[in-house]
Amino acid sequence: MFLFDWIQAHPYQTVGLILPIAIPLILFQVLPLLVLLERRGAAFIQDRVGPSRAYIPIPGTGLRIRAFGMLYNMTDLVKLLFKENFVPPFAFKSFYWLAPAIPVATGLLTPALLPWFAPIAYQDGSAIGVLPGTLITTSSGLLLLFALGSLSVYGVVLGSWSSNSKFSLLGGMRASAMMISYEVSMGLSVLGMLLIVGSFDLTQIVDWQGHHTWGMFVQPVGFLLFLVSMFAECNRNPFDVAEGESEIVGGFHTEYAGVKFMMFMTGEYLHVLVASALLATLYAGGYELLPFPMPMFVDTGVGTSEVVWQWLDTYWIKAHLGGVLAVMLGMTGLLLIGFAWLIAGRRANYARQKAQDRDLRMREYALYTGAFSVLGIGMILGAIMSGLFLHTEPISRAGALAAYSVPIYPGWVDAVTAVIQFHVVIGKTMLFAWLFIWVRWTLPRFRYDQIMGLGWKVMLNIALVNLLITAIVAKAIGGGR
Amino acid sequence: MRVLTPEGDHLDFMTLNMGPSHPATHGTLRIFCALDGETMKAAVCEMGYLHRGFEKMVEQGTYSMVLPYTDRLNYCSAMINNIGFCKAVEKMFNVTVPERCITLRVVLIELSRIIDHLVCSCTNLVDLGALTNFWYFFNTREEVYKIWEKLCGQRLTNTVTRIGGMYRDAYPGFEDDVRKVLVKIEAAVAEVRGLIEHNKIFIDRTKDVCVVSAEEAISYGWTGPCLRASGVDRDLRKDEPYYGYETYQFDTVVGETGDTFDRIMIRLYEMLESVSIVRQALDRLKPGPVNAPDARLSLPDRDRVYHDMEALINSFKLIYEGVRPPPGECYDAIEAANGELGFHITSDGGTNPYRIKVRPPCFTQYAAFGPMCEGEMIADAAATLGSINIIAGELDR
Repeated sequence: MFLFDWIQAHPYQTVGLILPIAIPLILFQVLPLLVLLERRGAAFIQDRVGPSRAYIPIPGTGLRIRAFGMLYNMTDLVKLLFKENFVPPFAFKSFYWLAPAIPVATGLLTPALLPWFAPIAYQDGSAIGVLPGTLITTSSGLLLLFALGSLSVYGVVLGSWSSNSKFSLLGGMRASAMMISYEVSMGLSVLGMLLIVGSFDLTQIVDWQGHHTWGMFVQPVGFLLFLVSMFAECNRNPFDVAEGESEIVGGFHTEYAGVKFMMFMTGEYLHVLVASALLATLYAGGYELLPFPMPMFVDTGVGTSEVVWQWLDTYWIKAHLGGVLAVMLGMTGLLLIGFAWLIAGRRANYARQKAQDRDLRMREYALYTGAFSVLGIGMILGAIMSGLFLHTEPISRAGALAAYSVPIYPGWVDAVTAVIQFHVVIGKTMLFAWLFIWVRWTLPRFRYDQIMGLGWKVMLNIALVNLLITAIVAKAIGGGR
Repeated sequence: MRVLTPEGDHLDFMTLNMGPSHPATHGTLRIFCALDGETMKAAVCEMGYLHRGFEKMVEQGTYSMVLPYTDRLNYCSAMINNIGFCKAVEKMFNVTVPERCITLRVVLIELSRIIDHLVCSCTNLVDLGALTNFWYFFNTREEVYKIWEKLCGQRLTNTVTRIGGMYRDAYPGFEDDVRKVLVKIEAAVAEVRGLIEHNKIFIDRTKDVCVVSAEEAISYGWTGPCLRASGVDRDLRKDEPYYGYETYQFDTVVGETGDTFDRIMIRLYEMLESVSIVRQALDRLKPGPVNAPDARLSLPDRDRVYHDMEALINSFKLIYEGVRPPPGECYDAIEAANGELGFHITSDGGTNPYRIKVRPPCFTQYAAFGPMCEGEMIADAAATLGSINIIAGELDR
């Protein structure tokens, strides 16, 4: 009973305790989405059908739910889990087993340092408590993030070395050389942003972007360099020489199969996810809504109105939650209805064909169309309702609390705001992840020595010049901190 | 592997077996190399993993029975092999096939050249990591294969010709189908060129990589696109014209440096030239017989077989015994997709060939591969192996 009492008395602290478990779990749910995005995106770019076979039959209805290829994640998982857990007899066993775990572990740890929503100020007795948007609150968040990210190369290097195969060894050599080289330009490219903001704390960096403009507009060169370094750090095309399947068979995971191979792949996708989230946080405003202030017509009371340029920051969101929710739900609803319309078009296409499974597919598409239409219409209704009837007022404060300048809102406002902001981050992350996928299926692969040349001869120099110019400008304009 | 140089230095190399099962070998080749870091200091190539004994096998059957075997030489463009073999045998008989057959064969040769180049280019780009091009080209190739299916019921191993003519005339609507496909081919080539031609990564990967000079190429006996990439203007269609190629308007595409970039680009541009040849050939395609009116080669009409004793005997002789070329030797070559595809046929006057020697184009190219990639990196070797288009089927025979 004590536990329930404590939870009731300390709801924010309870949430703070749950989040470290919840956020990695939520990210693990985003991972299949990313894999689906990769598969669908690749199929879209490559002009082919993509994942369309795996299905769950619904007994009695004759329906087969394929969920747009989402089920492939499940089938792959089952397949890889039940494959023979082969270990080459010549491998160095302990490191061979350890290696695949490292990328996954670091990939799961790094999200703890990213701000997923704005810090929430709440009333804690007679004081003001703050629930941070990151799981680990530290002023050197970015440094820790880079440190953790760089650890993942150990998985690749250990795996390649312990496999005791020549192809693996070549892959590991490429990976270690490349990741170490790109660490340098990555660190230097992001320094410009840090100089301007004056903090290593990611929450502050996002907050700064919410009141000035996004990082990619302040530091375009740094943004591009960081983007390229992130491609290299994630071992993605055009930097996937460590895998280099046409040259060194499979690179570092040549000798890996089954669930251990899956761990490497999971680690890679986690890294794409984290890298995209980091790009979103550092250069695309993180959980902030817009890169520019919106003109607001403020009634001056004498029949005229005055234009005020208002940043849509967290406090504004909380004060106008109904409107923000209306816009967000409305947009999502319209997108869903558009999607339903697309599927209806596909269904009409099937109706004209003489495909063997025509009726089956048409039933399935009808289900999707119905479901997404209902969902979309529901969302639009919700948008209208929230826009008309949802008004938020700060908790009026008395006594000692009145001295604090931050407005305190009721818990549900905080929760809805945090969820909105989390979705904003995930949305931006997915956009960057799409960029990763787009580039992967467009460009050819670099050669290993050309990657080194690009990293050390080109990117490092640009990063240094960028840093120098940024430092001078920041000193001249901002006065330096 | 420790190596003692003539200067007395001890060098340490890592030996590496690429193949016979390796993604870059596109089949079964083996490259045994000594690596210093990633640089190939020495490479020895080995062949024979796909040896079926083609040349011995064909001695066991009649000339007509050779045809299905030729499909399996260069399986990317089986029709060119069919036509090349039939042309050689027809040369022994000194028989000219009818006009429609010649034009039809030109269409088939050039379409086959296109699909061969499609496969070669797209797998080569896959070796470079540009995976998407693979589908752009393979989707187009599929369209050509649909025509093949309609034409002869087969996709890969067509056996579409017969000695003295064709298996059968083209189906109604063949021309329209081909014309539609040509547009798609042009679109696909344009798309892939857009993706790679001015791509910095692609150019860095392929320019000045594994250069083969004109002298080297000639000394190795190279033919076809790889030789032309080295700057030698040699094309059997121009230099020793057959099937009226001298009357078609087309250019031979010639490279400058003989690097991997040239070898890839030449194939892309040659496809466009082939498209133009196919268009011209389709314009000339007139109705008519497709089989030579020669009783030694062609089966008589069914109608005549049922009503005419001579024709019945003729049919029986051709089916049960096969054709009998006059005794003697004959070498005949056509410009296949990969280079000069030659058949040297020795006949003793019997129904079975006494000896058939195939001159496959990629045999000479593969011989040069080891020396070519010495001093280059593994990644370049993989890209180059794709660009010289080794087809193990005709390499090992």
